[in-house]
Amino acid sequence: MSLATTPEIAPRSWANRREGKRRKLAQIEPWMNGKILPGRYIIEALERLLAPGDKVVIESAQKAADFLSRSLAKANPKILHDLHIIIAAISRPDHLAIFEQGIARRVDFSFAGPQSLRVAQMVEDGQMEIGSFHTYVELSARMFVDLIPNAVLVCAQMADREGNLYTGANTEETPAIIEAAAFRDGLVIVQVNQLVDTLPRVDIPAGWVDVIVEADRPFAMEPIQTRDPGEIKELQVLTAMMVIRGIYERHQVISLNHGVGFDTAAVELLLPTYGTQLGLRGKICRNWVLNPQPTLIPAIESGWVESVHSFGNEAGMEQYIAARPDIFFTGRDGSLRSNRVFCQLAGLYAMDLFIGSTLQMDGDANSSTVTRGRIAGFGGAPNLGSDASGRRHSTPAWLSLITSDSPTVRGRKLVVQVVQTFKAGGVPTFVESLDAVEVGKAANLPIAPVMIYGDEISHLVTEEGIAYLYKAEGIEERRAAVSAVAGVTSVGLKATAKRTAELRCKGLVAFPEDLGVRPSEATRSLLSARSMKDLVTWSGGLYQPPARFRSW
Amino acid sequence: MIAPELTEEVLALTKRRSYIELGARDRALALLDPGTFRELLGPFDRVESPWLPMQGIVPQSDDGCVVAKGKVDGQPAVVIALEGKFQGGSIGEVCGMKIATALALAREDNERGKPTRAVLSIESGGVRLQEANLGELVLAEIYAEMVALRKHTPIIALIAGMTGCFGGMSLAAGLASYVVMTPEARLSMNGPEVIEQEAGVDEIDSRDKPFIWSYCGGRQRYGTRLADVLVEDDAEVIAASVRDLFRRGLPAEVRSSQHELFLDRLGALDPNKQWTANELRDVWKDVSHD
Amino acid sequence: MEKLSFEYPASAKASRKAHVGVVGSGDLEILLEPSDDAKAHVTVLTSVTGFQSTWKAVLDRFFERYQGAARIDIHDFGATPGTVTMRLQQVVEGNK
Repeated sequence: MSLATTPEIAPRSWANRREGKRRKLAQIEPWMNGKILPGRYIIEALERLLAPGDKVVIESAQKAADFLSRSLAKANPKILHDLHIIIAAISRPDHLAIFEQGIARRVDFSFAGPQSLRVAQMVEDGQMEIGSFHTYVELSARMFVDLIPNAVLVCAQMADREGNLYTGANTEETPAIIEAAAFRDGLVIVQVNQLVDTLPRVDIPAGWVDVIVEADRPFAMEPIQTRDPGEIKELQVLTAMMVIRGIYERHQVISLNHGVGFDTAAVELLLPTYGTQLGLRGKICRNWVLNPQPTLIPAIESGWVESVHSFGNEAGMEQYIAARPDIFFTGRDGSLRSNRVFCQLAGLYAMDLFIGSTLQMDGDANSSTVTRGRIAGFGGAPNLGSDASGRRHSTPAWLSLITSDSPTVRGRKLVVQVVQTFKAGGVPTFVESLDAVEVGKAANLPIAPVMIYGDEISHLVTEEGIAYLYKAEGIEERRAAVSAVAGVTSVGLKATAKRTAELRCKGLVAFPEDLGVRPSEATRSLLSARSMKDLVTWSGGLYQPPARFRSW
Repeated sequence: MIAPELTEEVLALTKRRSYIELGARDRALALLDPGTFRELLGPFDRVESPWLPMQGIVPQSDDGCVVAKGKVDGQPAVVIALEGKFQGGSIGEVCGMKIATALALAREDNERGKPTRAVLSIESGGVRLQEANLGELVLAEIYAEMVALRKHTPIIALIAGMTGCFGGMSLAAGLASYVVMTPEARLSMNGPEVIEQEAGVDEIDSRDKPFIWSYCGGRQRYGTRLADVLVEDDAEVIAASVRDLFRRGLPAEVRSSQHELFLDRLGALDPNKQWTANELRDVWKDVSHD
Repeated sequence: MEKLSFEYPASAKASRKAHVGVVGSGDLEILLEPSDDAKAHVTVLTSVTGFQSTWKAVLDRFFERYQGAARIDIHDFGATPGTVTMRLQQVVEGNK
């Protein structure tokens, strides 16, 4: 008997995915014109191209492939069901409808922001199963490992007849998502605003793309990092002054990322005024990892900024960016090239400092935006707000956090949290136990959804002062330092005058007067721009605020 | 200071003091000649609304209205400034009586030969709903006093933003001798939210900011001659423009007497057509009684 | 709406009247007048009920450092403790 052929064991096929993809595309072939699919077939096409249980990436971060997600929500759940959705931001009603209809069941995501209430309800009702929270780049990375997509639904600004794509200012993570599918026989389905003869530049080559459909309207886009200076309050000017004096100046922070919010917008607007008073121009805040947000315009115009690399675009900034190619990353066509994956990577390894805010913090400085009744996720914060222990290059700021003289000591990234002790409505920011702990238990999550861990945080800033947590020796000292700046919250009321005085002596805690910051100077008139109109003036008329910001 | 490569506009921006950002008291200070400010019925006189606490609303010590005597351009003046951040600058009993009485006292001074000028810095949504009847009554007094006072001296209505001038106070602005607005200000009888509530979102989307400002913002009101001066948000420039207007003296004819002009303007409009802000400015440019 | 009263011993004299703030949403106004007795008398009229202990904690801390004998009236429209503390510091500095 020969071993060569045993009829019961068929030879293994090593090209199942390729075969499967070919079969699926063949099913929609009659409708296609090259790679272009007419819009009216999209729902049926999705029913044929996707299979129950498939892993499907739906592009949704700042921009969202909403024509494709709206169409998917209209698919027949008898044909298409139990999809496993991989999506950076659950932001739209149609994202939820896909689960409500039973078309999808499981989700791995990063951020739910506007839909956090609904997501919590759907999880409770059993309509949605959460795989895990992720930080943005972590989700992108898993698309190459254990969340490899069968299909991706993405969006681009334009396509040419061949199928090349222009993603322009809103490139974000489209190249990464497409790469994960294109090179492992996944299906790449793209909605575009426009089909043209010639693209301004090629962001994604046609060879990576399978199906292109012209959408019913331009893809959805949120100016998530645009903040109106008119809403910055005096206490935020105060914390911004402390940040510049007590952290940026002290540690010589040259490269940095500002998390979204008014607290950080205030810092940007204070550089040309307060920062200049302190003689810091050129010495700090030169290289930025940041969306092209309008509140950075005065600092750019005043000569503070050398470079900005961006995760995505901010609507209305296109002309300003085109006029400042020395500052931003732009293509030969003049428009921005953003890239969320590279930007997040830069935020991890190539930055002196991250600064952001949170909704809740416990006595150990663990922070989370997950609160009772809401499942929000964390976006990029866990990545940006973490120390990169693989880092090997030094900068003055990184080295300045060394507290021991051991021979194998290494530096550390500054990870700063800035909060007011209480939020509007008398709700304390500092709590004994994060809501996230309870929410994690109730939703059967394997770990509590903490955004940034207390031992990662090097500095905590409140309207009361700065806690230099990186200097704390042991957990008790860290807790005491947190309490010292936690105001009259239950955490803050644990502070004793004696202990706080000791910490101030040791340099673990600094109040405004210790930093030479006078609260009476913390007025809005210190802001280099106080309104959206001022930002337009600073930009020489190049910045065009979206309609919701235009009140003149 | 800041880097020398900045444009003139930006340098001017960094030097100017925003009037919009000032509270009512600081606005009155900005409009009066330095060192002449004297407040009547200030916070420590504690003449507050008796009605708001009954309804569980915390009152303000000056009821949201600052009345200050002093000088403008060397001449005796009274400045009345409304605090838009307190209950939307709405007119209640105390606030309204402060305005009416201040105007009455100015009138009496004028009648006695002491020429006292008046400036109204208006941030108001109109009548305070919690004091509705009293608000309406006191508005009638305010209108009567304005009609009497403006024979003697110009009354300047200054609308800067961000609350704007709505409801019954928009009529007060209409009775003023001169109206000064910034581009950020709005002047309209009905508020956009109220119109949307009554007429539906297809008629007016109150969240469509560019549209709202296009029909009742400072630029449009100036372009259709319902405001006399359009001025940037700069406290010094605004104070100077108030002084300039007083130097002009009484207007040849107050706006509220120009019935024929406004009837002609209305007559020039085809009500079946949807007019845009630009078109309105154009067509009314040609309707003039100059 | 709630009215709260507090009293603290004072070892110095308040120098003059001072007034700061506006009763706008999330803000407060404070009137300060020198008092004849060696005490600070604080009256709080606030739009939000149930926060007596938070007001006490804020005022306790403030009066650890401020020793002036004064009558202090607060009209509050939902300000955070941080904002209250800021306005208290402003009114004793005599700022607007």
